[in-house]
Amino acid sequence: MSELIWFKGGRIAAEDSAKLEQLDVLVEGGKIIRVAEEVKAPEGAEVVDCEGCVIAPAMFDVHVHAREPGREDKETIETCSEAAINGGVTGMVLMPNTLPAIDSGGLVQSVLDIAAEKSRIPIWQSGCITKGRAGKELAGIAGMKSKGVPVITDDGDSVADPMVLLRAMQYAKRFDLILAMHCEVKELSGFGAMNEGVVSYRLGIPGIPACSEEICLDRDIRLAQYTGARVHIQHVTSARGMETIRRFKEEGVKVTCEVTPHHLLFNEEHIGDYDTHYKMNPPLRTQKDNELLLQALIDGVFDVIATDHAPHTEFEKNSDFVSAPFGITGLDTALVSLYHHYVKTGIFGWDLLVKRYSAEPRRLTNLEPVPVVEGGVAELIVFDPNRKTKFTRDFMKSKSSNTPFLDQELDGQIISVIRDGEFLLNR
Amino acid sequence: MGSERTLLSGEGITEKVGELAAEIRKRCGDDRPAFVGVYTRGVTLAKRVKEALKEEWPDIPLGTLDISLYRDDLDDLQTAPKLESSDIPFALDGTRVILFDEVMYTGRTTRAALDVLMDYGRPARVELAVLVDRGNRELPLQPDYVGLKVETKVGDYVAVQFVEDDKREGVYLTD
Amino acid sequence: MAETEIKSRKDLLDIESLSIEEIEYLLKTAEPFKELFRRSVKKVPTLRGKTVLTLFYEPSTRTRTSFEVAANRLSADVTNFAVSTSAVVKGESILDTIETLQAMRTDYIVIRHGASGVPALIAKHTRASVLNAGDGFHAHPTQALLDAFTVREVYPETEQKRILIVGDILHSRVARSTSTIMRKMGMEVGVLGPGSLVPEGRPDYMKSFWNWEDALAWKPDVVYLLRVQMERQEQQFFPSLGEYHRVYGLTSERFKRVEGAGIYLMHPGPVNRGVEIVDEAMAYERCLINQQVENGIATRMAALYWLKPGEENER
Repeated sequence: MSELIWFKGGRIAAEDSAKLEQLDVLVEGGKIIRVAEEVKAPEGAEVVDCEGCVIAPAMFDVHVHAREPGREDKETIETCSEAAINGGVTGMVLMPNTLPAIDSGGLVQSVLDIAAEKSRIPIWQSGCITKGRAGKELAGIAGMKSKGVPVITDDGDSVADPMVLLRAMQYAKRFDLILAMHCEVKELSGFGAMNEGVVSYRLGIPGIPACSEEICLDRDIRLAQYTGARVHIQHVTSARGMETIRRFKEEGVKVTCEVTPHHLLFNEEHIGDYDTHYKMNPPLRTQKDNELLLQALIDGVFDVIATDHAPHTEFEKNSDFVSAPFGITGLDTALVSLYHHYVKTGIFGWDLLVKRYSAEPRRLTNLEPVPVVEGGVAELIVFDPNRKTKFTRDFMKSKSSNTPFLDQELDGQIISVIRDGEFLLNR
Repeated sequence: MGSERTLLSGEGITEKVGELAAEIRKRCGDDRPAFVGVYTRGVTLAKRVKEALKEEWPDIPLGTLDISLYRDDLDDLQTAPKLESSDIPFALDGTRVILFDEVMYTGRTTRAALDVLMDYGRPARVELAVLVDRGNRELPLQPDYVGLKVETKVGDYVAVQFVEDDKREGVYLTD
Repeated sequence: MAETEIKSRKDLLDIESLSIEEIEYLLKTAEPFKELFRRSVKKVPTLRGKTVLTLFYEPSTRTRTSFEVAANRLSADVTNFAVSTSAVVKGESILDTIETLQAMRTDYIVIRHGASGVPALIAKHTRASVLNAGDGFHAHPTQALLDAFTVREVYPETEQKRILIVGDILHSRVARSTSTIMRKMGMEVGVLGPGSLVPEGRPDYMKSFWNWEDALAWKPDVVYLLRVQMERQEQQFFPSLGEYHRVYGLTSERFKRVEGAGIYLMHPGPVNRGVEIVDEAMAYERCLINQQVENGIATRMAALYWLKPGEENER
């Protein structure tokens, strides 16, 4: 491997510039040593021809289910990290709803140990808010914090008892931890398997009303307002919920939030004839929600884009709609699908993608962003908009392929991923 | 598609219907039969013969049979045949029945028609009248009354057309 | 007689996907089958050598028997695949069952399942024709066909006729399928039920009523009473069965008004006497419940006659 890498002729994407600037990039041992219009060819440099390509900071995903420990048949930390690299992601935060749930410092360490051995990218493990995610007793928050947990969450479930959550917020605040909230009033969701409305009536599927999410989200932010804790609202699906967050943000409450690619791109109508690739919790809402969430992303209401990568086996997803598990994979597909549907069509630019899927997720995790600038760390991707990506089973590195993009061909391809002076991916 | 040849004109059909009626009258004697036509053109044929005999027997009972449910080739069809109502508005038991079909070919339709008839009751005797017998039997069945007998090859197509059911009248052979 | 050909389908999963021509064809085809019942031999050899499997994950003696009689009269061999209905049946066992069914090389599968979409899932994975005998809250297409056939017998012209469906619209696959077919046949559909059981997501064409007074003032031609599922009361969709009967049931007093107006009565059965319907209404000459049962056999025969399983070598 050459010490020097010369990215020649690419256009640089940055979070604060709508314009892509054509500049050469010279990388040496994990550092960007030169960014200029024409870099003089140094002796022995490895040349990467980036003609027509975009060079962007590598992505970061704050919401990933790697399933290890416990459901290694769905995904492992190794396959999950490879799926991330495949999708241009070089760091991620894993959710703690594994088997067992990650609710102590020891368990956090055990995951980090596996990651150190199996993952080619750094991994942050989040911890539970309550023991076993049962919503009753607080998990070992200080112990988990000492192992580097950036965020605590009972993701998959809300913390049903508001008093438990209030205490958790008061406690976690003093450890400078963010509480990431899955918002749902379980009693309202019941046995629901999709958004409640015209489509759920037609299909005869029990519905989950949007107010199940909206009420809980409102409650959680009010508790954050009261306690002064930092909360992060996960996977917002409804426009009304988004408006609640916008209003609290304007009031100065310390709340951040995320939107997933699937809640932007898909809605209840896509379920069609009981396609379980469109079953997730919180569920896909309406087309109107798609439009309003997209506008909110452009307006800056959403701090980050996160995939909620949720692998399930083909066997599980092949069962009937009500029995099939919630969730779809996203790491392999997120960047290309967002490029295809929004950047290529001019709905938003690379600057938004970089800001919301690279820079802000890192800041949320108390990390520095990785802009492509002189003196910066070389953690970047090369993206060719003129190539296409077909999401075949073989192409995707996740152990599972429960995604609506399965076998779809979209515009754009990630051709290189570089981190720490090393090519993690080079097509 | 081969060429079409006329086997019987409209007048020819009328003549053959008359001959069938006369033969039936002769052979039945005092034993007035009941008629049963097989959908669609067997019913028309039965009505024509009944009309020809209205002087002697003004009140021949007339029934209709749809044999679709008894066909043995349903598996080969992409479309389930449209069903007509079978209607036997008289007591079959002990009755002499003449079954009408326009063309006799392999004998499979007749086999199916007999099966349907037997499911309605127990006639004293069943005879078969056809306008055209084109041979090439696949079952050991023969008509009792025949208007016209023609030699044909398997794969030929014999069409009987009545103005009641079709645009024209005549019997045509296409090879 | 220029008629459009009605191509056979592999499966009958819902009413929504049927064209009006297909519905008309099925109703027309059911007529000669009903006439068969008056013959001494009520059987035809149409499906001789074919196998029909009934697979009921929810117990329903009536519907299963109706399908069995229909299949028998078409000379098919009928087998009841005994499935456990006591335990909650999870998706996993369905996939396993599909494999088993595949190996049995059955031609028709009649399935009832508590989860919406299961018949569609099975249909995707087998060459056999799948007849949905009720799935979750989703669809009950043969019930809808027999209801339509029954309405046609009393009203040959269904255009602009009005049907009032009374009861639990939210959890009823019968309400979904029957309202869909009546709508497709040009009828106006009204619904009456407790606010907690008439969902917001209902189609726009449904005119909703919240009391009998308004509903009868709409002058329905047919009143279709849905069965009250007793467990709904425990889930607090309404306060008590007594209150249900008083407010939404066909009480003696309301029955008198129905009788006076000559309105036809229908019910998918089995009825809870004294809850959704009073005793005396069962003897009403315009009560079509028994016709519905008889017509169920004829329309199910028509459905079996129409469907064509996939090729032998197909999955």
